[in-house]
Amino acid sequence: MASRTVSKDVITLKGSAAIVAEFFGYAANSILYNRGIYPEESFTKVKKYGLSMLLTQDDDVKSFIASITSQLSEWLEAGKLQRAVLVIMSKSSSEVLERWNFNIETDSEVIEKGVSREKCDKEIMREIQAIMRQIASSITYLPCFDEPCVFDVLAYTDKDVAVPFSWIESDAKLINNPQMVKLHSFDTKIHKVDTMVSYKADEWDEEE
Amino acid sequence: MMILRTPPQRKRRVESVPEQDRSPVSDRRIVPYVGPSDDFVCTYHCRQMVKSEVMVALKTAEKLNLEYKSSLEALSNRLSKCQQEHSKCAHHLCSVEQELQASKGRESALQEQLLKETSEHQERFYEQLKRCSELEVQMQKEVEFRRQAELSADAAKEKSSAVEKELLIISENSEREKNRLQLSFSHSQDESKLLFSRVNAELDRKRIQADNFAKEAELLRKSLLDLKEQLKECLHEKSQLEYKLLSCDSPLVKANPSDNQTLVKHLRDELRKAETELHEARQLKSSHTNKEFLTEQLLEEKGRREKVEMELTRFQEVQLHAQRLESELTSWKSLLKQIPDVSCYDDIPKKIAHLQKEIVENMLKVGEGNARLKELQVALEMSNLSKEHTEKECKLAKEETECTSMEVKRLELMLLSVSGECERLKKDAVNWSKQKSGLPGSGQTNETDLETLLEQKEHAIRELGRNLCQQRESINRQHDEIKALNENFRIESKNVKSLERENDRLRSENSLLELKLGHGDYSVENTKVLRMVNTLGINNEAKHTIETLQIELQKAKSKLQAIEELREYSGEVINTGIPEKLLQLKGQIAVLEKREERYKAVFAEKISVFRRACCSLFGYKIVMDDRQRPNGIPVTRFTLQSIYAQNDDEKLEFDYESGSATILVNEYTSQQEIQHQVEIFIRKMNSIPAFTANLTVESFNSRTLS
Repeated sequence: MASRTVSKDVITLKGSAAIVAEFFGYAANSILYNRGIYPEESFTKVKKYGLSMLLTQDDDVKSFIASITSQLSEWLEAGKLQRAVLVIMSKSSSEVLERWNFNIETDSEVIEKGVSREKCDKEIMREIQAIMRQIASSITYLPCFDEPCVFDVLAYTDKDVAVPFSWIESDAKLINNPQMVKLHSFDTKIHKVDTMVSYKADEWDEEE
Repeated sequence: MMILRTPPQRKRRVESVPEQDRSPVSDRRIVPYVGPSDDFVCTYHCRQMVKSEVMVALKTAEKLNLEYKSSLEALSNRLSKCQQEHSKCAHHLCSVEQELQASKGRESALQEQLLKETSEHQERFYEQLKRCSELEVQMQKEVEFRRQAELSADAAKEKSSAVEKELLIISENSEREKNRLQLSFSHSQDESKLLFSRVNAELDRKRIQADNFAKEAELLRKSLLDLKEQLKECLHEKSQLEYKLLSCDSPLVKANPSDNQTLVKHLRDELRKAETELHEARQLKSSHTNKEFLTEQLLEEKGRREKVEMELTRFQEVQLHAQRLESELTSWKSLLKQIPDVSCYDDIPKKIAHLQKEIVENMLKVGEGNARLKELQVALEMSNLSKEHTEKECKLAKEETECTSMEVKRLELMLLSVSGECERLKKDAVNWSKQKSGLPGSGQTNETDLETLLEQKEHAIRELGRNLCQQRESINRQHDEIKALNENFRIESKNVKSLERENDRLRSENSLLELKLGHGDYSVENTKVLRMVNTLGINNEAKHTIETLQIELQKAKSKLQAIEELREYSGEVINTGIPEKLLQLKGQIAVLEKREERYKAVFAEKISVFRRACCSLFGYKIVMDDRQRPNGIPVTRFTLQSIYAQNDDEKLEFDYESGSATILVNEYTSQQEIQHQVEIFIRKMNSIPAFTANLTVESFNSRTLS
């Protein structure tokens, strides 16, 4: 999927954008599975990042995530994407319950001059693996969902970005007084991705 | 007077020995026997007495000798002990000297290191001073730039105020001209309407006239034809009469002259009538031509009317276009007013280029600042490490100096004790030498040895004392250097503390930014939030509609099959238009579905345009959200964020239900100032637009002033 040069250690802008977009796709699938947004039987196992990752087989969700990741890859190549947020909301009340925040820092020199960077692919995969493990283990401290939930994806872009046909401007869908947990980050030397999850504090936690 | 047998010897100089201890016989001195002279020859008894006395004295002397020997041995033991102690002290002194030299070497190394570090710190300090001076120079430059920018901003403000005044004047003039034009246009419109109505009325009148004329022309034509026929008949009768007249000319002429005159009169009357009718016919003909002319005029007027209508529609379009242009002009003017240093439209690209340059410069400065921050952090860490290292070394040096001072003190005490013992030994030696003055011979050499040893010891003690003084001086110098280094360390520790404070502040800012990041806050000026339109919900809705349409299609198909079966079974002529209708319906469904998707896309575009327009017109970014209350009643929530808001928390929330909007209480509205305005404008005056307008003006003023 990612277009890389012959040498494994050289990372180009396009390759880095593909890595980050692919990571987002797999992370979104992992979150949907672990948080129980969709039933377990609708997921299938695949090998990725040295782990058994779960991917949804629902055509609609698959196409939705695929279209989002393709657009994110475009914006990443242009250096216009600042953040990608996966929002989990209550289906009935549309209240935002969780926000999975993927903050992206882009090396402006690469965007302007088109230079490439060097980093070992294995190291990048190791860093991504650590994040995937943390996402899987997040169910130990994140509150359970007592009602059916839906998800949506928000993209924080530069102000001068032309809004594509199938995208519209939206509000940030914030959580009031959230609890936050910072996860690991990974760096391709061109794009640095920081992961953070903020969730609505459980009633038990508030009482404590 | 008794005559002495042996003359007393000459007394040596012994200062301390008292004279009480001397006795003529037993003064404990072995005096050599001097042969008797003739004057001093004594008898045998005397010799025996003397011999016994001598023997007694010898014994006592031997005893004394033994005692002295024992004391000598004891003294020699003590001497050996002292020598051993002295050797030990000398060894210890050597070791101490070695340690001292080693400590000196370490101190010199430490001093060199300290000097190096102080030189490095000095260099770093100088570099930091240089950087500080450069930063100060840059700050001064920036302050000057800022002053110049403020001056230019003031000049621009003055220019803008002058331009605003001119704009106001121009706008007033334009409004006047516009009003005048509108009035003239309304007048012209009215006139055109009047003209149009007049033209229409004339046209109608002329139409009616033309119809009347046409009817009259027809009537006249008919009358003309009748008259022509009558004329023909008359002519025919006339010709007949003339023929008759000619044929029966003579008898009748004389018989009826009066009848002929009446006939002639009648004919003349008929001729006149015919002429009048001819004249009328000609008039009719001319009116017919006029009618044609009028119809042509009618057609022309119709054409003009159509042109006028076209121009009216065009005028309306032009008016709409002019209104749009006016709205755009006002928006551009408002934008121009907002933008400082811009007096006309040509200045906008220059201003944009200038702002872009400033942005690039500021970004560079931010990058440089970040780089300097990182350098300062690295320098902080290095200085912390060096500080810890030097503190450790200082502690070690202090401990060593304390140890050396303790050892020096101990050595001093030992020296004092040794010197005390030496003095005591001296005293003992002097006493012993005094005692030994009666017993010369072997004791003298020991005395000289002891004295030489004492002198050597004294010399060594003096040397030790000199070394001690030198070491004290060196230790004092080291203490002074350590004090100076401590002062430098205090200064550097202060610098380090200030850098640590900055580091803590930066970390707190970093944590705040991370909190904001995690919360989802963003800068509206640089960032916008997008999401896909065709979310799964909409897809599900489309799915539902598609499913329902498919169900209906299947029902229609089943009906079709049933009808076809019926047709085959009955053989009746069924309306063959049904499958065509089905196809038509399917086509309509496809068209409607496409239209629905287009409408959705267009609606999405339009709603985004509408939102942006509302934001630019009213100064509030409006976000609409449908919610449901716990009792199930649907409510629309509007969240307004002013474009002049200084924080992302400054939001107004309204619940809109059945035509009425109610403001919700949040952190921003619970502030005193805002609450006051809410009470005045909303609670008392019941006007939300007034509240929002007042709020925008206040936030605009606060932003422009800041």
